[in-house]
Amino acid sequence: MAIDGLIILDNAGRAIAQSGFHSFPPAYPLLHIDALNNALASAAHPDDVDPVLYISGINMDTPSACCHVKRGDLRYLCPVSGDVDPLYAFAFLQTFIEILHEYFGHVSAETLKQNFDVVYQLLEETLDSGGHPLTTSPNALRDIVIPPTLLNKVLSVAGVSGLATSSANSHPFASPIPWRKTGVRYNNNEIFFDVIETLDAVVNKNGTTAVSSVWGRVETNCKLSGTPDLLLTFSNASTLNDCSFHPCVRLQRWARDKVLSFVPPDGKFKLMEYRYVPISASSLNQVSVPFILRPAVQVDEHGGSIELTFSSRLTTRTMENVYVELYLGEGATGASCITSHSTSWSFNPRTLTLVWELRAVVPSASYTLRGSFTSTAGAPRPSRAFRVRFEIPQHNYSALKIEQLKLTGENYKPYKGMRGNSLGDIEWRW
Amino acid sequence: MAALNLNMLTENASRLGMRLQETLSEHTRDLAIARGTGSAYLDNPEEKVKNIAKQLDSNSDREKLEAMKRLIALISRGRNVSEFFAQVVKNVASHNLEIRKLVYIYLLRYAEQEPDLALLSINTFQKDLSDPNPLIRAMALRVLSGIKVPMIGSIVVLAIKKCAADISPYVRKAATLAIPKLYHLDSSHQPELIKIICTLLKDQSPLSIGSVAVAFDAVCPTRLDLLHQHYRRLCRTLIDVDEWGQVDLLNLLVRYARVMLPRPIPANGANGTTDYEVDSDLKLLLTSAEPLFQSQNPAVVLAVARVFYYLGPPTDLPKIVPPLLRLLHISPEIERVILTNLVLISSALSEVLAKSYTRLLVRASDPRQVKKDKVRLLRAVINAENYPSLLREFICYADDADDELVADSIQAIGYIARSVPESTQQCLTALMTFIQSKHDVIVTNAVLVLKSLVQIRMQQQQNMIALGGLPPQTFSPLEIISRLARRIDDLRHPKSRACVVWLVGQYAASAVPAENGIPVVGPEGIAPWAPDVLRKLAKSFMQETAVVKLQVVTLAAKLLVLCPSDRTIVLLNRYVFSLARYDLDYDVRDRARMLSSLLAGVNANIYGENDDGHEDVGGVVLRREQVKVVLFEGKASPAEDVPKDADDDHGRFGSLAAITGRWTGSDNYLPDWLEEGTESSLRDSEADAPPPPVYASQSFARSAGPTSRASPVILTPTNGPSPSGSFVRQEGAKAAYMDLDKFYEDAEETEESEEGESEEDGSGEEDEDSSESGSGEDAASAEGEGESDEEDEGEDEDEASGSSHIQGTTT
Repeated sequence: MAIDGLIILDNAGRAIAQSGFHSFPPAYPLLHIDALNNALASAAHPDDVDPVLYISGINMDTPSACCHVKRGDLRYLCPVSGDVDPLYAFAFLQTFIEILHEYFGHVSAETLKQNFDVVYQLLEETLDSGGHPLTTSPNALRDIVIPPTLLNKVLSVAGVSGLATSSANSHPFASPIPWRKTGVRYNNNEIFFDVIETLDAVVNKNGTTAVSSVWGRVETNCKLSGTPDLLLTFSNASTLNDCSFHPCVRLQRWARDKVLSFVPPDGKFKLMEYRYVPISASSLNQVSVPFILRPAVQVDEHGGSIELTFSSRLTTRTMENVYVELYLGEGATGASCITSHSTSWSFNPRTLTLVWELRAVVPSASYTLRGSFTSTAGAPRPSRAFRVRFEIPQHNYSALKIEQLKLTGENYKPYKGMRGNSLGDIEWRW
Repeated sequence: MAALNLNMLTENASRLGMRLQETLSEHTRDLAIARGTGSAYLDNPEEKVKNIAKQLDSNSDREKLEAMKRLIALISRGRNVSEFFAQVVKNVASHNLEIRKLVYIYLLRYAEQEPDLALLSINTFQKDLSDPNPLIRAMALRVLSGIKVPMIGSIVVLAIKKCAADISPYVRKAATLAIPKLYHLDSSHQPELIKIICTLLKDQSPLSIGSVAVAFDAVCPTRLDLLHQHYRRLCRTLIDVDEWGQVDLLNLLVRYARVMLPRPIPANGANGTTDYEVDSDLKLLLTSAEPLFQSQNPAVVLAVARVFYYLGPPTDLPKIVPPLLRLLHISPEIERVILTNLVLISSALSEVLAKSYTRLLVRASDPRQVKKDKVRLLRAVINAENYPSLLREFICYADDADDELVADSIQAIGYIARSVPESTQQCLTALMTFIQSKHDVIVTNAVLVLKSLVQIRMQQQQNMIALGGLPPQTFSPLEIISRLARRIDDLRHPKSRACVVWLVGQYAASAVPAENGIPVVGPEGIAPWAPDVLRKLAKSFMQETAVVKLQVVTLAAKLLVLCPSDRTIVLLNRYVFSLARYDLDYDVRDRARMLSSLLAGVNANIYGENDDGHEDVGGVVLRREQVKVVLFEGKASPAEDVPKDADDDHGRFGSLAAITGRWTGSDNYLPDWLEEGTESSLRDSEADAPPPPVYASQSFARSAGPTSRASPVILTPTNGPSPSGSFVRQEGAKAAYMDLDKFYEDAEETEESEEGESEEDGSGEEDEDSSESGSGEDAASAEGEGESDEEDEGEDEDEASGSSHIQGTTT
């Protein structure tokens, strides 16, 4: 009736760490690992493996399913059995991965192996052997599982382990607010907001936008002493739709006044997520795509030719890290292209994708790519659309502004920082 | 002075640095810090493993810690290290918290495998249940409940009972999670466990209440009557429960509501629209759950969607669509799960989904499962307004590199043609262009779809002729067939070839070329392209697959019946039937034999004159007209390829079974509504005795309704603005103080302080919130200094009470 456990695999499909699986036969985790590895090996595309694999079980009466996600180099498995919502498993996996990031910064097979004792403590503290999440709030977890810091490492090597433990809170769960720990002290009280927006759009063959939506999230890094109570006001809150909030946000207050009133957790957390909908009726409530792509793709026998023009529609800002990708279809063997200055192209033989990389696109500039590709297939079937990803630093589609941040409950003036960043993921059909 | 200080400081620092360096070099000899301390443990040479036992027995904490880390490392490499159990258990009473935690991690893993050894140290665990550190208390209980020896069941029950009354909600949570384990071990403890669950249900802390739902489900899932007293409080605390608990609690409350509450009944609203009369308690659940749509946890959102889908009145159903659509962009895995769930409910929500169909457009980079579900959803939302743009989308998808998507979208085009009559011409034009495609899969699917469309059109045409008059058409069905017939050489996929052959045979007679005044080139009575198809296929008969062969034999027979006098057709027939008679496939042989006997009355000797195998079997020989009826009539009308209807989904929305499409080992079907709900007074608890205005407003609404039941408790109706408990103090800060005072008075005077507090706690966060907001507003409007001071005080009080609840009550 719940999550059966958690397994972390390296990119070769071997288990790095796994939870107990006490109430299951010893072969149970292996069964899931093998099923996933087999599915991955037999699939043409790793993405095509269903994230929820049905596993019939050793004896047919106990079927189960393997929910798995890939993040970075690692694969996280979550076997479930009985009638449990797979989203429960995925939500738990996501939470656990976020906790790992919180603890180790960069998560790789190597970091996990170096800190295996912490990983095991985390596994035990976040997941009960009955399969129910225990403590998943990073603030509460930090009280009971000490994050590995250089200081701790040095101290433990130097043999002063007593000092290392005393730095941990000797009274865990003492905080009246589940998501915030007590006794936080900072010399510089500061809070930073990162507003990251992603433009998700599909552009038709004729250049009209079929759909575009802007998804934003407010990542917060809070370094405030004591128990601050914050009141955050946005300048254009009415354009934010489909919001979701961190548990610390008082929902009634948002429903009533469209302001965020909350006692923040200590450290990094995701304050809110939203979908930005412009109010102006003229642009069909859509944000326009900041570039124009003029593709001309000709598919011949055993190959084809591609001609692309990429022009920026932005007049003041620079687009960065632009990647234009095209899957060239099964059997593609190679490509050769000529690109305009300061851009580069590559062909990935593993994913059969042609990638055109534009490091920096200066305002209203145009770039071209001309080339051809070869394929063993008689009639190659390249993907019907280009995928364009880009980044616009220091910019927000929504022009979201924090109007005011009021702090009550403590007597200091915090430093407030806000930063915008825009990403884009566009499908451009040809 | 300052300079002197600085000097001293630097001197000290350098001295400390030197000392540190000294110790470091001393210790790094065996620790290899340069490579990271952790990985050093992972490469365990055998002699080190042997050393572990000695290290565990040593007096140095550092040695012990190192040994424990080595053990954990061995566990992570899948090695069984239960041989060290005895030495490890000794360290459970270590003063070093770090060591203790690792010891417990070890114990949690191995206590279940080595119950005998664990039993030896059971006293230590019991002692640890009284440890001042809640972490250790919880760990001790987790190890105790993990020891799978039925004998100690009663000890564990005592331990659970003790921890269930612990002051730390964390320990109480561990206690609730231990209950299912003990129950599985020995179900004879059920009565005691139910008693513990009942006490835990009264728990004021939102932290543990979610796990109580888990324990409840495991131990006594059918005793929903135990929840009566707590139902309203559970609904109100919902928002403060942690995210995982919210999911479990919501699922429990859904079951409760289905069994205990009356179903929403349609009642005619004032302005002609259908309103639904919703029971006040059900409404409470819906309004308390609704804010959770804004949770960041997708599992919570889906659980709330379940509440609305299974309990809410149909008018509330559209509310679940935007939150679910929001989840689509979070991650590909979540998108996949949500899409499948949306497909499940798409029939009920097609109108709402149609409004935001652009959010479901298929991207070329989507994974396969996602593409499949998106097409199914787009298909479900097709209506007369949006079909042109959807048709364009599907035409676009037909170029996709994924064959399944191509097949699905071409079939969807056929579906548009059938369901929206105005679109037929556009769809046919699109399908006819697909036939020209270079890609096999596009042609095949287009042919299959065209076949079913032609069948429908022929039927319609017959009806039309019966009614008189044919509408002008760009593509008459016969023209489609003739085009297909001409393309037979290019069709490679057996199924599509068979399909075209069947079409040719079936509608060969329907051609009416004489009408146009064009002289007929071929044999009389059949379309000119039909014999040609037979000729081509007779030539390639040996290379065809069985499916095509069957259809070729049938085609030959049909043409012979239509035109028995034509010599070419007779010869072709003879050739085809001779080949079929000796075919490797028995189906083909059988079909040939059956048809040849059938045709005995038309052409006595289909296998040729010199065939001696033919014997007169006797029986009835059918005349040509009769054979014609047998061969041409009574075809089943084209089957609608509608996905199986989801009318009765057995509570599969938001379950694993919905995703895998298979039985998942438990029949957790949602119970159906009862005829009538249980008496609502059952849910009146003492906690509700001083009625908050909220309830009053609800009960007022109910008694005003047409089907009200007499409520034994008379609640004073007030005009509370919202049915949610969260707005209790909306009128402003003043009112809040009044309430708080009263509450403290009550707490002092009456015995029911606990229940009173429960009231407080239920809306603890909101209380804080509203008083906070009150102060904020007042400060903004710059009122009197004194008043704002007063408010600050109140705030503190409020906070203090809140914290004491979270701490729990020490009883």
